[in-house]
Amino acid sequence: MTLAYSLVVAVLFGTGAYLLLKHDLIRVAAGVVLVSNAANLFIIAAGLSRGVVPVLPIPGGESVADPVVQALVLTAIVISFGVSALLLSLVYRVYTSHLSLDLEDLSGADEEESEQELASLTGRSIGTGRGA
Amino acid sequence: MLVFPLGVLWVAAVVLSLLDGRRQRVGYLAVGALTISVIGLIVLLIDILNNGRAEQVAGNWAYGVGIQLRADVLDVTFALLSVGVILVATTYEVLGRVRSRAFPALACFMATGLIGLSLTGDAFNFYVFFEIAMIAAYVLAGYGERTRQLRAAIIFIIVNLLGSVLFLISVAGLYHLTGTLDLLEIQRRITIVDQQPAILLATMIFVAFAIKLGIFPFHFWLAAVYTGTRPAVAAMLSGALANIGSYGLIRFGTTMPRELEIGAPVLLALGSVSIVYGGFQALSARSATEVLAYSSIGQVGYILIALGLGGHLALVAAILFSIVNAVNKALLFLAVPLRGWLVGGIIAIAAFSVAGVPPSSGFFGKLGIFRAAVADDQPLVIALIFIGSLLSFIYMFQIYNARFWEISAEESREGVVPTPIARRSLVCVLAAFVIVIGLWPEPLIYLSEQAAIAVEAGG
Repeated sequence: MTLAYSLVVAVLFGTGAYLLLKHDLIRVAAGVVLVSNAANLFIIAAGLSRGVVPVLPIPGGESVADPVVQALVLTAIVISFGVSALLLSLVYRVYTSHLSLDLEDLSGADEEESEQELASLTGRSIGTGRGA
Repeated sequence: MLVFPLGVLWVAAVVLSLLDGRRQRVGYLAVGALTISVIGLIVLLIDILNNGRAEQVAGNWAYGVGIQLRADVLDVTFALLSVGVILVATTYEVLGRVRSRAFPALACFMATGLIGLSLTGDAFNFYVFFEIAMIAAYVLAGYGERTRQLRAAIIFIIVNLLGSVLFLISVAGLYHLTGTLDLLEIQRRITIVDQQPAILLATMIFVAFAIKLGIFPFHFWLAAVYTGTRPAVAAMLSGALANIGSYGLIRFGTTMPRELEIGAPVLLALGSVSIVYGGFQALSARSATEVLAYSSIGQVGYILIALGLGGHLALVAAILFSIVNAVNKALLFLAVPLRGWLVGGIIAIAAFSVAGVPPSSGFFGKLGIFRAAVADDQPLVIALIFIGSLLSFIYMFQIYNARFWEISAEESREGVVPTPIARRSLVCVLAAFVIVIGLWPEPLIYLSEQAAIAVEAGG
């Protein structure tokens, strides 16, 4: 069981990390989702124990499954869900303003913006970078 | 008592998120809530200095069942520092014009998360509050909503999410290894558990906090984000949010002392590389905010060096330097875009402080590390502190020179438009604070001493 868990966590994390290195923002977002779910699965794996349901009354002599990790993973799932939603909305915001999902295009647009700013501040080698 | 500073901000943040933050009145509500929280933290700090550690289990649950809040001097000091910086940055933005309705609420949420993670005594709640602060920061990084801010926000969110996930995995690992999430219990049990997995976990925790701080091999996101965000947000990120990194390194480093000692050469090496790399990058940067961003990379190197040196003196120095550095960075990010009378003086003070020249507070920050290095007999580190200070002296005065001595073509044509006096006086107060600490450093040194004693005694 532990081996199965560790294999799944490894594959999920590896795939996620690979996707994070892409230029396409949707793939990056998918990578973030995969990586955070790998972490959730890891939490479950950290408290992997066989036993009865941890609800009182507990039949005498039986070992109990660890309830702490389940509480932890619930919280972690909610957090990763929220962050993924936030990331996707940010990606959508980028798409609506640039009609592109490529991180390179975004840097290009940024550079144009700062070059325009620099041009308007002629003769200054070092400045605030964005005006007062 | 313990819940008060946290609760005030939490309630305020929820209420504020329903209001339109672009109105100045709403902004002042946020400033008021932050001020109340700061006062609460000061009262708490005085109480803890007199009576020792404060503990409380939320909701009257039994010890070990409910959510544990625990505050020693280190916790409250860092909470106070972070909320103080957020208070100044929020006031700065409110005195101008707030451009987004969510800004005051987000500032309060970030402060809530930062207080929470300092006051909690439990590794998982540390993660939860850490995420509350981070999520607020993710949204704030996009504040301004121009291409540059959007790009900064995307880079910031992706890199830091990876850091958070690493931290979450190591918290789960700590639970698996020690069977508890209570930081005090972990500190007790970590010395008797198997060392190999503990080293692995310590490495992951280090990487997670190093990403937050922007230490050398993990710095790649920092320059784009700090130069891309607006000044108030950059001040919050570098003066408050980065405290997660320094506080986390100090807290978890003292929780796992055996692993810290093994990792000490790595900390020293990475710290040195950070100082030199940050210094040279700052020298060749083309805009003032870029100089500041790279200077942040260099300055956090000193915290790593202090931790790597080890021992009581070095721990005190690490705490003192983290505080001084956070105030310096907040001051600089807020001061650089300003124009008009007094601003030159403010920048000069901040520059002296970063370079570590008396009578500014930065002098005592560096002096502590210097003394720890001398006590530990590390000539290389001593030389490095000199080189680092020299570099920072040069790049800080490059900013000063370009901003105040060479009048640009545009300015000579149109004349300088000064910033409103309210903003300037606010930053002036912060600069005065830096000088006062430099002239009368005893309270801060005493505070760092007590904080170091508290963490060394356990939790």
